[in-house]
Amino acid sequence: MTAPARFYDGETAQAHAASVRATAGELIILRAADGGALVRWPIAELAVLGDLTHEAVPLLMRRGSDARLVIVDPALRRQLADLVPGLAALAAQPTATTRRIVGFGTTLVALIGLFWLAIDYGTQYAVPLLPHGLQVKLGESVFEALTANETLCEGEKGVEALNRLANRMARAADYPHDVVVYVVNGGPVNAFTLPGGILVFYSDLIEQAKDRAQVAGIMAHEIGHVVHHHPVKGVVRQLGVDLLVRLVSGGYSDVVSTLGAGGNLLLGLRNGRAFERDADATGVRILEKMEMRADGIASFFEQMLEKEPKDAAAAIGIWSSHPPTGERIAATRRPATGRPPFTDAEWKAVREVCK
Amino acid sequence: MSDATSPWAKAAVASSGVPGSAGPAAAAPAAPDLTPSRPIYDGKLSELYAIYLRHVVLMLLTLGWSRFWGRTRLRRYLWSHVSVLGDRFEYRGRGRELLIGFLLAVVMLAVWGGLMYVVWVEVFHERPFSSFGVFDAFSLSVVLLGIPLAFVGHYAGLRYKLSRTRWRGIRCGLAGSAWRYGASATGLTFVNVMTAQLLTPVVSVKLARPRIVNLRYGTLPLEFAGRASDIYGRYLGYYFLNIVAWVVAAIVLIGAIGGTVGGLDLSEEEFLTLFSQPNLRTVLLALAAAIGAYMVFGLLVLPLRCWWQAYLFRYLVSRSRAGNVLFATAITTRQMWGFMVLNYGIVVLTLGLGWPWVMHRTMKLISSELWLYGAPDGASIHQSADRGPRFGEGLLDMFDVGGV
Repeated sequence: MTAPARFYDGETAQAHAASVRATAGELIILRAADGGALVRWPIAELAVLGDLTHEAVPLLMRRGSDARLVIVDPALRRQLADLVPGLAALAAQPTATTRRIVGFGTTLVALIGLFWLAIDYGTQYAVPLLPHGLQVKLGESVFEALTANETLCEGEKGVEALNRLANRMARAADYPHDVVVYVVNGGPVNAFTLPGGILVFYSDLIEQAKDRAQVAGIMAHEIGHVVHHHPVKGVVRQLGVDLLVRLVSGGYSDVVSTLGAGGNLLLGLRNGRAFERDADATGVRILEKMEMRADGIASFFEQMLEKEPKDAAAAIGIWSSHPPTGERIAATRRPATGRPPFTDAEWKAVREVCK
Repeated sequence: MSDATSPWAKAAVASSGVPGSAGPAAAAPAAPDLTPSRPIYDGKLSELYAIYLRHVVLMLLTLGWSRFWGRTRLRRYLWSHVSVLGDRFEYRGRGRELLIGFLLAVVMLAVWGGLMYVVWVEVFHERPFSSFGVFDAFSLSVVLLGIPLAFVGHYAGLRYKLSRTRWRGIRCGLAGSAWRYGASATGLTFVNVMTAQLLTPVVSVKLARPRIVNLRYGTLPLEFAGRASDIYGRYLGYYFLNIVAWVVAAIVLIGAIGGTVGGLDLSEEEFLTLFSQPNLRTVLLALAAAIGAYMVFGLLVLPLRCWWQAYLFRYLVSRSRAGNVLFATAITTRQMWGFMVLNYGIVVLTLGLGWPWVMHRTMKLISSELWLYGAPDGASIHQSADRGPRFGEGLLDMFDVGGV
C-alpha cells in the first residue's frame, strides 16, 4: 500500500513516505515504515499552499520553514480540513471546470463585444471630452515632425485670409475653439487636418484650384474633420483595436499582434472612408449655413477626375482611405450660387501666399 | 538515434577502472542505480482552459495589468501537474513580484530616455539632422539595445522561474551573470550572422553551457559535456541540404504562381478588380494559394530544420547530468515538427486562444520524451541559501519574449 502522504524536510532533497495524526494542538507526521515521529507541527503554525483549482495537491507547510507535507490521499485531506478550520483549503473543491469555461467564455465574448463598441462608437462621445490643450499639443508635435523638411508659405495677407475664413466656418459649425491654417510650399495637391484644429494646405492645391469656391470647399471639408474630431478619433480607434488584440491573445504572441495590425490597417481605412463622407456632408452644410457658394467640393473632385479619369479610389476598393470620387461628387453637387468666400483682394493674397 | 557514445560512460569507466564502453548501463561492477523513469504530466486541458479564460477576461477588464497574476496561476497549474519520481514540482512565484519587476524595467527605460534627452539638449543644442529628433534617437537606441537586453532578460527570467520552482521542497536556481550571458549571446549571434550561420553548432553549445552548468537543484550543480565538434558533421549536412531545399521550394512556388496567374488570362484591370473588390471566390482562391505556398515551403524547408533541431536537442539533453541522474531523449524530427511548426500554427490560427492547448501539448511531449536514468542522492543535496532574485522578469516582459 502506498503511504497516504510524503514529507520533505526542507533541508535535504529526501522524500519520506509518511502518514499523519492530528491531535488537539499538533500535527504529528509519522514515518510510514515504522510509525516513528518525523516531526510535530503546532496546528497554529500550519498553512496551506495553493488550492485545488491550480495545484493537483495543495501543500501543507509550517510557517517560516521550507518543509512540506504532501497529503496524497484525498480522504485524509478532507478529514484534516474538517478537523482544523484553518486548513479548509486542503479540500475545498473548485467550481466545476465546464461551468467555469462556459462562464468565463461567455464573459469574454461579451467583453470583446463591449470593447469593440466602446472603440467604434464610444470614441464619438469620449474624444470631444479630451482637453483641447492636449489635442493641440499632439497636433503641433505631429505638424513639426511632418513639416520639418518643408518650407511654410508666409504671405501675411494670404495666411490671414485663410485663417479668417477657417475660423468663420468653425464658428458656423459651433466649434468652440480657434483653428489654425498653415500653407506648405509645394505638393501634393492635398490638404489635411491634425488634432487640435490644425489645418495644413499644400500650395499646389491653391495654385491648381480653378476658383475661390474650390479652396473654400476644401476648407469646409477639412473643418468638417475638425468638428467631428476625426484625427483624434482615428488615433484612438487604432490604438484601441491594437490593445484589444494584445489583450485577447493573452499579451503573449507577437505573431497574433502582427496579424491584428493588418486587420487594424483595413479597419483604419474603412474608418477613413466613413470620415471622408462625414466631412463632405458637414462641409456642404457649413457652406450652406453661411450662404456661401457650395459647389466647390464637387467641382474640385470633378477637376481631379478629369485629370485622372480612372477613379483611383474606386479602383483600389477596400484598400482606399477615401470613398470613390464619383460617389463623392454625386453627394456634394450643389448649384454655383451664393456669396463668395473671399473678397477679390483676399483671393489675390491667397493666390500669392507663397510668393 | 545517432548520437555518439555518452561521455558519462567514460567517466563511469574511469572511476570504476573497468575497460569497455557502450551505454552508461554497461559501466558495470559497482553498478550505479540507473533505473529509467519519465516525468509524469497529469494536467487536463479543460482545467487549463478554465484558468486561461479567466486570465484573458481579467486582462480585458484590467487593460492587461492582471497578466502578472494570470501568468503565475498558469505556472502553478503546469508545475504542480508534473511529477518526477513520484514527487510533484511546486511553483511559488507571485504576481506582485512580476509586477515590480516590470515596473523596474519601465523605470530603467524611462531613466535611459531622460538621459538621452538631456544629452540631446545639452550636447547637441540644435538638431544636427533636421528630420532626426530625440524620439527617433531613443527608439533607435532601444532597438539596438533591445537584442542584448532580450538575452539578458531571457537569462534573468530563467533565473527567476527556477528560483520559484521547488521539487521535494528544495529550490532550484541559476547562478552566473545575466549580463555576461547577454554579452556573449549578442557577440556570438553577431559573429554567426557575419559568417552565414556556419558557426551555429559553436553558438548552440556555448549558449547552452552557461544555462546548464549554472543550473542548481539545491546545492547540486548540473554538468554539461557537450562539444561543438561532435555535432558539426550533422550541421554541415543540414546546412547544404537547406540551401538545396530553398532553391527547389522557390522554383516550385514561382512555377506554380506563374502558371496559375498566366492560366487565368486576366488583364491588368481585371486583376486589380479581383484584388480590390474581393468576392468570396477570390478570397477562397487566395487562401488556397497561401496554403499551397505554405505546404511547399513547409514540406521542403521546415522538416529539415526540425531534423536538425531534434538532433541538437537530443545531443544537448544527453550531454547534461545532475549528480547521479543522467538524461536522454529520443525526440524525433516529427515530434519536433509538432512542437515548432504545429504549435506555431495553432497559436496563429486561433488568434492566441490556442495557447493552453500548445502548453498542454508541450508538457505531454516533455513527459513522454524525456528519460531520466537513476535517482538523486537526496541526503547529499541541501537547500541552497540563495533565494533567487526578489523581483521577476522585468526585462523579459518588456521585450515581449516571455511565454509561460
